[in-house]
Amino acid sequence: MIPITLEVNGRPIEARVEPRQHLADFLREEMLLTATHLGCEHGVCGACTVLIDGAPARSCIAFPAMLDGARITTVEGLADDAVAGELREAFMDEHGLQCGFCTPGMLVMARDIVLRRPQADDDVIRHELAGNLCRCTGYVGIIRAIRKVAAGREAAVVTRGTVLTPPSYASPLSLPLSPAGRTPVDPPASAIALPAELSPDATPDDEPLHNPVELGESFEVPAPRATVWALFQSPEQVIACLPGARLTAPSDGRSLAAEMVVKLGPMQAAFGGTGRIVADPASWSGVIDGRGVDSRSATQLRARLAYRLDEAGEAPREATRVTVEVAYVMQGPLAQMSRGAIARDLAARLTQSFAANLAAHLKGEAPVAANASLDAGALAWSVVKGWLARLFGRG
Amino acid sequence: MKAARFDYRRPATVAEAVAALVEDGAAKPVAGGQSLGPMLNLRLARPSTLVDVAKIPGLRRVEERADGVLYGAAITHAEFEDGVVPDPTPGFLARIAHGIAYRAVRNRGTVGGSLVHADPAADWPTTLTALGARVALAGPSGTRELALEDFLLGAFSTALEDGEIVTGVFVPRCSAGARFGYRKSCRKVGEFAEAMCAVLADDVRGVHRLVIGATEGRHIVVTEAKGVLADPRLLDERLASAGLAADPSTLRLHRKVISQAIEALNSESLPA
Ligand SMILES: Cc1cc2nc3c(=O)[nH]c(=O)nc-3n(C[C@H](O)[C@H](O)[C@H](O)COP(=O)(O)OP(=O)(O)OC[C@H]3O[C@@H](n4cnc5c(N)ncnc54)[C@H](O)[C@@H]3O)c2cc1C
Ligand code: FES
Ligand code: FES
Repeated sequence: MIPITLEVNGRPIEARVEPRQHLADFLREEMLLTATHLGCEHGVCGACTVLIDGAPARSCIAFPAMLDGARITTVEGLADDAVAGELREAFMDEHGLQCGFCTPGMLVMARDIVLRRPQADDDVIRHELAGNLCRCTGYVGIIRAIRKVAAGREAAVVTRGTVLTPPSYASPLSLPLSPAGRTPVDPPASAIALPAELSPDATPDDEPLHNPVELGESFEVPAPRATVWALFQSPEQVIACLPGARLTAPSDGRSLAAEMVVKLGPMQAAFGGTGRIVADPASWSGVIDGRGVDSRSATQLRARLAYRLDEAGEAPREATRVTVEVAYVMQGPLAQMSRGAIARDLAARLTQSFAANLAAHLKGEAPVAANASLDAGALAWSVVKGWLARLFGRG
Repeated sequence: MKAARFDYRRPATVAEAVAALVEDGAAKPVAGGQSLGPMLNLRLARPSTLVDVAKIPGLRRVEERADGVLYGAAITHAEFEDGVVPDPTPGFLARIAHGIAYRAVRNRGTVGGSLVHADPAADWPTTLTALGARVALAGPSGTRELALEDFLLGAFSTALEDGEIVTGVFVPRCSAGARFGYRKSCRKVGEFAEAMCAVLADDVRGVHRLVIGATEGRHIVVTEAKGVLADPRLLDERLASAGLAADPSTLRLHRKVISQAIEALNSESLPA
């Protein structure tokens, strides 16, 4: 694995990459930027065209390992670009797309053409666009759209080396929230500050998660802080609160071996792996992190759960505010199939039902989604039940 | 398809790059990756390690001399096209670069990579041979220089020795009145050519060269080309011995492209 830094759509990214992973796969699988399409995967069709340091390039034959320090712009990153905006409108007006498969590459290339070749006529456009194939439109609409935008431009611009303004909005569904190794742009108020020796970066066997998906949940449970703390120190009980999860070996309290079944529509994965538990009683906080692999799909999962307990409520009705932050990185086939919204949604619901189960457990009730694997139905039910449990638990 | 696993190294100097190649005989240099990338993805090439030469300062250097310009091997097609490097010819290099592949490929593909890939149908090998260019090489036993026609040994084969890299290519200065004719026949813009011919006529220097590319093997290089420029039929024998005359339509295509390149000497000689 090669460590690299990149700027993707204006965001600094640190990653460790396999040299053979090409840029399009990196963008799609690690960054969840799925607008970049792959057609031929050997440089011919242009579907994968992105901007590298301002100039168009094939992302299927560019390798992030060789791009250390480069600025990458995908079509998502052109959201606020004025020229791309004009082109999007022109493509719509002129019927410049049909199925849309070639369109991201077409737009990236079209932007370059109108900048470098203002006033371009049809011949010039056809020549410049020859490296982008379209199976649907017959090109006429695409060329009309580009001609329309080129006609309104005067001075030629050399795009090589230009810096683009990053988009003001980055979808949290498609882009991991915070680049690894950096503080999030907007640190959440509830951020759990861990003593340095507890920070996951400090432990030797684990590199930090790179570009993880991050989720937070904060909730109150009707139990004294010491009781909740005790529960968090017991891997058996924590695992019991995670839908679909079970310990595969007794835990010594510092490490654990577990399995977790996740169902997503027709897809099912059973992640088996190991984790490590660190706790700091002084700050009432701790971290459980682990890694696992689904043996069927070879999908790899690395996750970190950080928690902090704060006192809430007053004697005799003591309560504890639990703040949980989950960060995970999934790589492999399942990440590809369940990317973006679905995977995030699943993780969010997992975190929610964990919270609900925890509340139920502390009241001596059975977990609301005990060891049922996590599928959409069970989840909805667990969320509703958790909500009810919390509602009445307090009343 | 996806590339098979390989390691990656980015040496800082030419000497380090050579050392890395000597150390591992299955390693390969990579520059723009525009020929190697497709071969890796198709698993036609499975190097153990890629030694990245694209950013080595010595390969990014351009040195203007009285008798010509030495270009670092890692200068890209787009940099030639945009004229950001000096040109010792009356504008020929930018014109040639503009006709290579597509802009997205030209932004990354390098002149050195193109010469080492040595595709007989590629643009730089044929045109730079016509311009009388020389390649600069560095290897475990030092540096050397070769005329391009001695470097290009045939389809995808060069005189590059183990552990050697191309550091640059020297293009001799043409006189202001030099004329250049270049034609290639492609099924589609950016596709590799089925026939190609480049001609240089520099009367002031007394240089007349004609090179035929898109052959099945070595380029056909005519260094004293005054005669064939006047009568292209004199080339028929060389076309035949290069195996290009067996199929009548192939022969006709090559002949046509040759005569068009020669005619272009007059119509396109002046810098636009
Ligand atoms: C879709 C497409 C269309 C194309 N069309 C054309 C075309 O019309 N005309 C044309 O001429 N070309 C065309 N090409 C090829 C393109 O020009 C390549 O850029 C060029 O051939 C290789 O340059 P590179 O820097 O990318 O080399 P790489 O792909 O990095 O390397 C190519 C070969 O050269 C070796 N190498 C690279 N640099 C050095 C060095 N300094 N010393 C020693 N060995 C080195 C590598 O080991 C490898 O064997 C096309 C490519 C694509 C993908
Ligand atoms: S997928 Fe990259 S050019 Fe076709
Ligand atoms: S719109 Fe379908 S491939 Fe171009």
